[in-house]
Amino acid sequence: MSKPTLALLLTLCVALPPAHAQVVTPPAVRLDSPEASQQLLVTLPAGDGTRSASYEVGDPAVATVDVTGLVTPRAEGRTEVLVRSGAATLRVPVEVAGLKTPRPVSFEQEVVPILTKASCNGGGCHGKAEGQQGFKLSVFGFDPAADHAALVKESRGRRVFPASPANSLLLLKATGQVPHGGGRKVELGGLHYRRLLRWISEGAAAGGSAVSPVAALEVEPVRRTLALGGTQQLRVTAVAADGSRRCVTAEAEYASNAGAIAGADGRGLVTAGQAPGEAAILVRYLGAVTVCRVTLPRPGATVARPDANNFIDGHVWDKLALLGIPASDPADDATFLRRASLDATGTLPTAEEARAFLADASPDRRAKLVDRLLERPEYADYWALKWADVLRVDKDAVTPAGAVAMTRWLRRQVHENRPYDQFARAVVTARGSTSADGPAALFKALDTPEVAARSLSQVFLGVRIECAQCHHHPSERWGQDDYWALAGLFSGVARKPLPGGGESVVWRVGTDLGPPTSKKTVPARPLGAAPAAFAPGDDRRVRLADWMTAPDNPYFATAVANRLWAHYFGRGLVEPVDDLRATNPASNEPLLAALAAHLRALKYDLKAFTKTLLLSRAYQLSSRATPANAGDEQNFSHAAVKPMPAEVLLDAIGRVTGVPEKFNGWPAGYRAIEVWDNRMPSYFFRIFGRPVRYSVCECERGTDPSIAQALHLMNSPEIAGKVQATTGTARRLADSKLTPDAVVEELFLAGLGRRPTPAEAGRLREAFAEGTRQSAAEDVLWAVLNSKEFLYNR
Amino acid sequence: MSVPINRRTAIRVGTAGMLGGLSLPRLLQMQATAAPDAKVPAKACIFLFLEGGPSTIDMWDLKPDAPVEVRGPYKPIATSVPGTFVGEHLPRCAHVAHKYAILRSHSHDDNGHTTGYHYVMTGYKADFADGTNTRKPNNVLYPSIGSVVSRELGGRGAVPPYVNLPHPLTAGGAGLLGAAHSPFVLEGDPVQPDFEVRDLAPVAGVDARRRTLRGKLLAGLDGEPAAGQAAAMGTYYAKAHDLMTSPAARKAFDLRAEPEKLRAAYGHTTLGQCALLARRLVEAGCRFVGVDHSGWDTHFTCFPSLEKDLIPSVDMAFSALVTDLDDRGLLDSTLVVMMGEMGRTPRVNAQAGRDHWSAAQSVLFAGGGVKPGRVVGATNKAATAPTADPVGVEDILRTLFHQMGIDSSKTYLTPLGRPVSVVNGGRVIRDLVG
Repeated sequence: MSKPTLALLLTLCVALPPAHAQVVTPPAVRLDSPEASQQLLVTLPAGDGTRSASYEVGDPAVATVDVTGLVTPRAEGRTEVLVRSGAATLRVPVEVAGLKTPRPVSFEQEVVPILTKASCNGGGCHGKAEGQQGFKLSVFGFDPAADHAALVKESRGRRVFPASPANSLLLLKATGQVPHGGGRKVELGGLHYRRLLRWISEGAAAGGSAVSPVAALEVEPVRRTLALGGTQQLRVTAVAADGSRRCVTAEAEYASNAGAIAGADGRGLVTAGQAPGEAAILVRYLGAVTVCRVTLPRPGATVARPDANNFIDGHVWDKLALLGIPASDPADDATFLRRASLDATGTLPTAEEARAFLADASPDRRAKLVDRLLERPEYADYWALKWADVLRVDKDAVTPAGAVAMTRWLRRQVHENRPYDQFARAVVTARGSTSADGPAALFKALDTPEVAARSLSQVFLGVRIECAQCHHHPSERWGQDDYWALAGLFSGVARKPLPGGGESVVWRVGTDLGPPTSKKTVPARPLGAAPAAFAPGDDRRVRLADWMTAPDNPYFATAVANRLWAHYFGRGLVEPVDDLRATNPASNEPLLAALAAHLRALKYDLKAFTKTLLLSRAYQLSSRATPANAGDEQNFSHAAVKPMPAEVLLDAIGRVTGVPEKFNGWPAGYRAIEVWDNRMPSYFFRIFGRPVRYSVCECERGTDPSIAQALHLMNSPEIAGKVQATTGTARRLADSKLTPDAVVEELFLAGLGRRPTPAEAGRLREAFAEGTRQSAAEDVLWAVLNSKEFLYNR
Repeated sequence: MSVPINRRTAIRVGTAGMLGGLSLPRLLQMQATAAPDAKVPAKACIFLFLEGGPSTIDMWDLKPDAPVEVRGPYKPIATSVPGTFVGEHLPRCAHVAHKYAILRSHSHDDNGHTTGYHYVMTGYKADFADGTNTRKPNNVLYPSIGSVVSRELGGRGAVPPYVNLPHPLTAGGAGLLGAAHSPFVLEGDPVQPDFEVRDLAPVAGVDARRRTLRGKLLAGLDGEPAAGQAAAMGTYYAKAHDLMTSPAARKAFDLRAEPEKLRAAYGHTTLGQCALLARRLVEAGCRFVGVDHSGWDTHFTCFPSLEKDLIPSVDMAFSALVTDLDDRGLLDSTLVVMMGEMGRTPRVNAQAGRDHWSAAQSVLFAGGGVKPGRVVGATNKAATAPTADPVGVEDILRTLFHQMGIDSSKTYLTPLGRPVSVVNGGRVIRDLVG
């Protein structure tokens, strides 16, 4: 802080005793162009006072200020703004310069952002591939040269009209003075209007004055706790590469990641909703992004802090305490057994397993269970399936032989618990026969450098860089150069036919790549890393693998920690799970950082990491919400109710009915989670959302419920056949000597992993009063099978 | 899921519905979408998809003056509209030509089957190679027409809003809109005497008494999770239960309720009986019925199968459908579209067949605000391309949505957050719908 500023602040504090509690920033305002503006922020002890203060300019001929505290210039000179807040009056000196001979408007730095802010160049409007009504802009303004040509040269020059700037079609349309399908996007006479007008009157140049590019964006405040319904004005400052700063509050764009919690308007005013929680307000300006985090605690709540089993709990309880949300009670043993078994192995525990676990009174029974689950073959089957989904094990793309090879290899990696960094390296640098046990066939599915780069970036780094193939990522720092630099690391991957059929993935010669719209190429490098020198024969993917798995890589451990967390807790700390970026912050950042550090400390031992997750108290909470935490969906105050993947559900139905599914052409005993053939026709798989492995996105697996699913479970001949089978569970129990109550208990243990409550036993016993033992056993089994408790993993 | 009822209601519905407490019509009333716009002509759409590529040069756009290798063996016949001629194997359609319009200038540049299905059903070019994935939804990203209709208009009766007959349309899936807007698929052929809708008929050996008991037993379980998709599943259970038990829904699927004379008029073919069932479903409140009729990929010796099988089944089904809808006063509010993914080569090949020709196809439209009796556009003398103003897939879809009151410019967000509009460009075919 400069000396005069400090002195000014001191003066204010001394002169106005009550004002020590309220601060106006910045301490002085300097406006140096006709369309410059400066947002004042008034901070009170209780929060933001910007909108409740009143403002007045000493000399209205020099500057104006509006009710939001935005100061704009009128004429060169000096004056001051009087800020009245409560009983206090504070003064902020204002200096206006650069109006008589203004620096010419920079098209790229000052016009394009207006088109972006007004969403003229959005993907739904003129930014679409074919433009809108004959007027096309580059999406989000990634190609200023093309945009300039579109504005100045196309449409017979009607769009800008330097001889009579106000009659330019651009301005007439944007302000709605002539009919415009997109409506009024720019306020007549407003700051944006005046800048566009000046740009046109200056000759609508492509260059304009050289403005140092934006290097960073700062938002104030960076973090704010708000009461329900509270507000906070943000201030956004663009910091240029040359260190100069200017207020862009009125020009930046704002978007909330949780609009129901808190939203932001186009002027950067954040308004909290009526539900406690957290939101991140994304701020974007000229390719730079930043985030303001807003927290809304539950009013008047103090919550008890449960015991912690490990470091995870500490972080979860911290967050819940901050928000005033209580945690649910711990889940009972039966729920834990069913949940952990389904989550880790995709397999329903049998009635015998349930009975044995419920009889185990040892204090470490849950830890022992987790150890047993992680050594089960089903653990390897299930996680091979999970990885096969995102690693494109699609029979049509990689051939049946390739699908078998990849599935076998994946299963072995999981079974042997190969450290995850080594696993990822093996995938990224895969070579050799596409039908031999290994991951090489992946490069049949990822068959161009671009597809390989963006797919593997999404899988292993959680960075969705696909947007940047054609334009700067709208909410990230990544631009086209980053995309093509990454793609260049895969440029030497080739497939060569093998004698006797089949193919082999080889590395030929790496070259640098660039966007097809330009002739220049970009030196190959990983995301955000420095370019490396490559000899022509070097497999550049090795450099990528080195960078990815280096201890200081910011994405790699975080991405997989989040993916595993999402699997076990039903929701990622970051959602979507493979979309890590500053503008999509984790719901609990210290926790995610601690998980990533823990995984690195474990040397990427995924089984050990999984055990840490499953033994946390947070994982072991009940899914039953309390009135105070029912609204919480992202802070893990209660366990999630998770849909079962199609394969897991089909196996569970087979197990509880005693009639496993028989797959056409597959040996008996193969379970759905083992079936590698993702194209196998199956009505069940189709309606329950088995993915076709068309992309590396976990989102491809459908989890939505539907009428067809409900009909199939309730009323299909297939399920009825299993319920009524002579070899099935119902018949076995009906033919046994068990009492009706014992039959009901057996079916509960098999399907739900628990015993019925006395009330349930009483209600379900009625089946035996109404029908034969056979029909009663079938009807109880049907009811268990169709209960949401069975169909979902709670 | 877009049901605007809260979670707590959904749970109540979930269990009460099992016991018959809350009927489907009630439920659908609760989720009633925006008030219907009186100016929107089409409340429903029946989309007859001639899979494989119909030889429309032999049906709706004959070239009697072209050389024999182009004009083929068929003669044009006069229709009820003076000056409009169709192929000689379409006498019934000729008789009711004043009830529908023929668009002769449809043209696009995707000459593959599976990529063509994707293009026609979603309005977007496929990004996979042709020749894969038949008979299962391959539109993993872009929603199909029917899924958009389901999403935008929702249900209005006892049957699901989007149905596929008799099996799934290859690109008829919901894409990014999710399972809630996937088609309800018959999975049975209504021309078969033992036809039943998949999973709808009572299971053998489980009588009404046991079904009631089962509902009671299910309601007697305590541990129902009350959150998230489990709660939504409860709602779907209620809908499914009503589909099984509501007389209106069961009746909608019951073709035996139709007089034999009418069933015969539609033709005892898969297409005919599907068209009839489509009409029943529309009456029961369905918004979009997609009928898949395969067998049109006639590369070899095409004329025998065209004249003996394919064209007569279209002749009966289409003429009976528009007549029947008209007789019931439903034609004005029901848009009927009949097309394939491509037309066929004008020049007959060495195997006496016609090959793929996406550059020219005739498409039929009826009802739902379509100007009846019109012929829109024309192809050149050799039938290779439209003479002027080719009408693309986007134009057809935009027109369809326009007639149903759906804004084609509306955008959905892909999982990557990219906005995609319902239809990518295109214009309403004004000559067709005014």
